[in-house]
Amino acid sequence: MAEQATDRLVRMLGILTYVERNGDTPFAELAEHFGVSVDQVRKDIDALWVASEPGDSWSPIDFSADDFDADVAALVRNDGVSQVRLSPREAVALVGALSTMGAAGALPEAGTQVLAKLRDALAEPVTVLGDDQVAPEIREALLEAIARYRLAEVEYVDAQDRRTTRTVDPHRLVVIDGHGYLECFCRRAQDYRVLRLDRIASVTVLDGAVEHPPTDTAGFTLTPAFRATVRIARTGRYALEDIPGVEIEDADEDVIATFDVADAAFVAGRLLAVAPHLRSVTPPRLVAELHRQAQSVLDVQR
Amino acid sequence: MPVEKSQRLLNLIIGLSSTRHRLTRDQIRDTIEGYEPLPHGASEEEVRKAEASFERMFERDKKELRDLGVPVETVEDPVHGDEIGYRIRPAEAAMPALDLTAAELAVLGIATDYWRGAVLGSDATQAVMKLASSAEHGPRVELPFAALPAVATDAFATLVEAVADRQAVRFEYSSVSSGAGTRTVEPWRVVLRAGVAYVIGFDRDREAPRTFRVQRIGGPVTPVGPAVEEVPEEIPLGALAASADVRTARVALRPESGHALRRRGSAAGVDGGWDLYDVEYAHGDAVVAEVLALAGGARIVAPAELAQSVAKAATAALEVERG
Repeated sequence: MAEQATDRLVRMLGILTYVERNGDTPFAELAEHFGVSVDQVRKDIDALWVASEPGDSWSPIDFSADDFDADVAALVRNDGVSQVRLSPREAVALVGALSTMGAAGALPEAGTQVLAKLRDALAEPVTVLGDDQVAPEIREALLEAIARYRLAEVEYVDAQDRRTTRTVDPHRLVVIDGHGYLECFCRRAQDYRVLRLDRIASVTVLDGAVEHPPTDTAGFTLTPAFRATVRIARTGRYALEDIPGVEIEDADEDVIATFDVADAAFVAGRLLAVAPHLRSVTPPRLVAELHRQAQSVLDVQR
Repeated sequence: MPVEKSQRLLNLIIGLSSTRHRLTRDQIRDTIEGYEPLPHGASEEEVRKAEASFERMFERDKKELRDLGVPVETVEDPVHGDEIGYRIRPAEAAMPALDLTAAELAVLGIATDYWRGAVLGSDATQAVMKLASSAEHGPRVELPFAALPAVATDAFATLVEAVADRQAVRFEYSSVSSGAGTRTVEPWRVVLRAGVAYVIGFDRDREAPRTFRVQRIGGPVTPVGPAVEEVPEEIPLGALAASADVRTARVALRPESGHALRRRGSAAGVDGGWDLYDVEYAHGDAVVAEVLALAGGARIVAPAELAQSVAKAATAALEVERG
């Protein structure tokens, strides 16, 4: 597909501003910096060069011809043309993503700096709320282990409240659905795992070296066991909206949610919280799990 | 040879930035390289055609520049009657110098991954390209961080623009309390919380501020007149605000269960086979849901109304029939 005109325009203005700020620059460096070929850089500079003001042949941008022949961009004159500011959508995209990574506890130090610079330069384009409350010492210890290619011993509390101590080969911190996770190889499970950062209770950096390489296919690897359909009064809708891949449709005063279930105990636990609004649940095995948990609750809470 | 479009857009930016006052459409067509001036001695029919084709081209160019973030101003001039002119104020159009390090540029690359494949993906990529002109050149920085794509809908992108343009909008919304219906809203602010998008604005029908979850918007978001007059200094966060009203619940936990509650709370002794913990909470529902999810591994000692909520939910769950 041919390049969009505006994409090229943005790169041309970028090259111009970069050379203005950094002085004479070899085409090769520009090519690397802007991710295009040297030949494309030459064409872009040529296009900047012939840009003209209305009516006459006065060109506001002038490069040195000798340097151009030597594949170096050397600016002789630039009469006020520069890179254009971020559009509202662009600003929200960047600030929104960086802030979400920050709230999830998975933003590198350089990210905090760039976010501060963007916020200084732009009117705050988006409000980002929420905080996973990842303890700084957990984050620091994980980053240290990752940077030094060391194993880490991690105390972890999973969504079903099972507490485990695992030795992992830590790889990177990743934001998934707005929450921060550690991508790692778990020695206990002998498989790749993502552990939610705010469920990690403690981290100890070990002496042993990382042996399992990062995988490209990390992320969630849960295999759905069955598909569930839940009919619930609209008031209870919120409890189902966050289930990954859920489809929700309106049905009079209710909504009907359909989604894949990997762990019936986990889903039943969620349904329990909105049980007064439930109209129907299928399949029966999910209802059975719901009943089992409800009975266990009533055995202790009266 | 026709002038390439990127070249024409560049010439248009230069022309509109360098004009002392403004350029009218005729001036743009006749003087900016890339547009076709009216042919000399053309027939009426040819003039009409050429004018129509220029109008289409210029409207598209103007929109693309505005979408790019270039503030193309409309300038009316009473002396020249109803003929409209245009200009760009260079200081307003320019990207401020940000002086980014190579590591900071690398983080921005991860931020674009967050929107990959979603509607803001190309905006994020374009933004990074713009910021690259402010960044130092250095060896590629590898960071042990990543972002998996978020869910972003067309509605979210349209609302972002509407907030920036102070444009009122109309959409179909499926509400928890009042069912599905058409809402007419003056959007004030977009909000992201844990990856979920909201818009806060003034609901014209209900004549009050409301928070809308973007996921619950069905169909397109369409602009409606008139424009948004006033945006409050302080945007009311409504239900999204962190509650200032924090209370304490006492929970009883079975040994080896309720680890998350234990971490948040403070130990308050033992009672038979139970460990007691005091846990602060802002929303009672959240504590109730947490205790329920422990399926007998926890119970609420106090306050009584939370204990009742737990028992009530469990009782209701037993009444759900096997489908």
